[in-house]
Amino acid sequence: MFGLIGHSTSFNEARKKAMDLGYDHIAEGDLDVWCSAPPQLVEHVKVESATGKTIEGAYIDSCFVPEMLGRFKTARRKVLNAMELAQKKGISITALGGFTSIIFENFKLLQNKQVRNTTLDWERFTTGNTHTAWVIARQLEINAPKLGIELSKARVAVVGATGDIGSAVCRWLSQRTGVGELLLVARQQEPLKELQESLQGGEILGLESALSQADVVVWVASLPKKLEIDKSNIRRPCLMIDGGYPKNLDEKFAGSGIHVLKGGIVEFFKDIGWNMMEIAEMEIPQRQMFACFAEAMLLEFENCHTNFSWGRNNITLEKMDFIGEASVRHGFSVLSLQTDMKASLA
Amino acid sequence: MPTLETIEVAGETDINTLPDFTSEKYKDAYSRINAIVIEGEKEAYDNYLSIGTLIPEKADELKKLAIMELKHMKGFTACGKNLGVKADMPFAKEFFSPLHGNFQKAFEKGDLTTCFLIQAILIEAFAISAYHVYIRVADPFARKITENVVKDEYLHLNYGQEWLKANLSSCKEELIKANKANLPLIKSMLDQVADDAHSLDMDKEELMEEFMIAYQDSLLEIGMDSREIARMALAALV
Repeated sequence: MFGLIGHSTSFNEARKKAMDLGYDHIAEGDLDVWCSAPPQLVEHVKVESATGKTIEGAYIDSCFVPEMLGRFKTARRKVLNAMELAQKKGISITALGGFTSIIFENFKLLQNKQVRNTTLDWERFTTGNTHTAWVIARQLEINAPKLGIELSKARVAVVGATGDIGSAVCRWLSQRTGVGELLLVARQQEPLKELQESLQGGEILGLESALSQADVVVWVASLPKKLEIDKSNIRRPCLMIDGGYPKNLDEKFAGSGIHVLKGGIVEFFKDIGWNMMEIAEMEIPQRQMFACFAEAMLLEFENCHTNFSWGRNNITLEKMDFIGEASVRHGFSVLSLQTDMKASLA
Repeated sequence: MPTLETIEVAGETDINTLPDFTSEKYKDAYSRINAIVIEGEKEAYDNYLSIGTLIPEKADELKKLAIMELKHMKGFTACGKNLGVKADMPFAKEFFSPLHGNFQKAFEKGDLTTCFLIQAILIEAFAISAYHVYIRVADPFARKITENVVKDEYLHLNYGQEWLKANLSSCKEELIKANKANLPLIKSMLDQVADDAHSLDMDKEELMEEFMIAYQDSLLEIGMDSREIARMALAALV
């Protein structure tokens, strides 16, 4: 069985969803009640691959909401409790969605193996980052040419280049895609230099100069709230792939030659009988999902019960090949501009 | 919407520091919390013996559980002594009196469902959750004792669960009714000790969450579904 750990995009959304599901006691509570609410296994689902193989899965809502990010202890408990529940339910491979893997990484939860009487078995969990990185790279390869951007000449900026997903995307783009030039952007300089060395190429730039030069921008860092960008400095056409979480590039950049594509999202070839993707605000919730969730499904389809994506900078091109090949074979396709175009032109 | 930057700032908080076990504030709060724990184990001892008289064929098993509770009581008494704290037993007696009263009423009526709900679900879940939170911030001596106690407490929770599970078809309505009357008492007990627990570095929010997890787990085990549990849990909020 595969598992997905997710959460609502805001406290208000979470309350609405809880009410719909009949969890009135939580729905009516204030944020403090939510901070004390246990994780819930809210949905079981069956998924049939394009190959005909059927697997079963479960969706666990951690009862975390982004409003809890300032409460360190609460956020930490939400993630660990949801992981414990997944393990107690005997789920073989569970993806950490939304803020879950970010909290796990940033709060260094690796040192919290013991949750009550359960010793967490990391082998049962995956961040899903390998599939996300592969999907973002493919989204770039498929969509840039649609806008008339020639990949072999394109200048591609990766914002958040030194992160787990960012560095994997950089490796893919320089060794597989062969883009014109890679512009590396991140907050810390030391890891950037190391990345540049390992790639044997790429130019380290500040955010503003990278944005003014790039034909394609891959965002895999969250957008600083106070960031003000002068849109007139951005090249046209420009493809922006919003691979961060939460996805908020659209409101800042979209329009007149700047095409924002939601990054790291895949679409399944047929409807899945679940309700929970609505809370992730997918355009077609019966088919679309985060690539990290799809990774748990793919690992289950492939009987590959291991923490496939784990820790930082362990994503190899071979792993991306493996998960990408499985993704196509089982019926996933990457989200492309056709559906997004209308929104960005509106 | 908060961003990664907010997380990084919040992430700097150190969660591994222990409280000062020798401070007056700590010892004062400990005198009440320790008394509650001792009294709780004592009540559990009495309650399991009482339940045994209602199911004579299980009396021996229940006596074994009761004796275990007595052993826990002695362990926790030692924890107080180790810190040089005198447990405030009159406070603890008063603290448990509403729940104690409800148990006695149910016992006199031979109402096993309510007896098991109070002792084996509510009190055990309350104890297990508090012990789990306490283990992380306890002094080394108390930590060891509490870790051993927790292992035993799961057995007790299971015992009550098994009985309720086997009898669910006939006792479900009674169980829901008993829950409605008694779960609010647990909530108010938690509220009463929130400040003292805080002095021991135990957050009310975390205590409540741990309780809800144990409570939810045991009701699921009995055979209630998650929406029924959601409705039952509502009683703790009103």
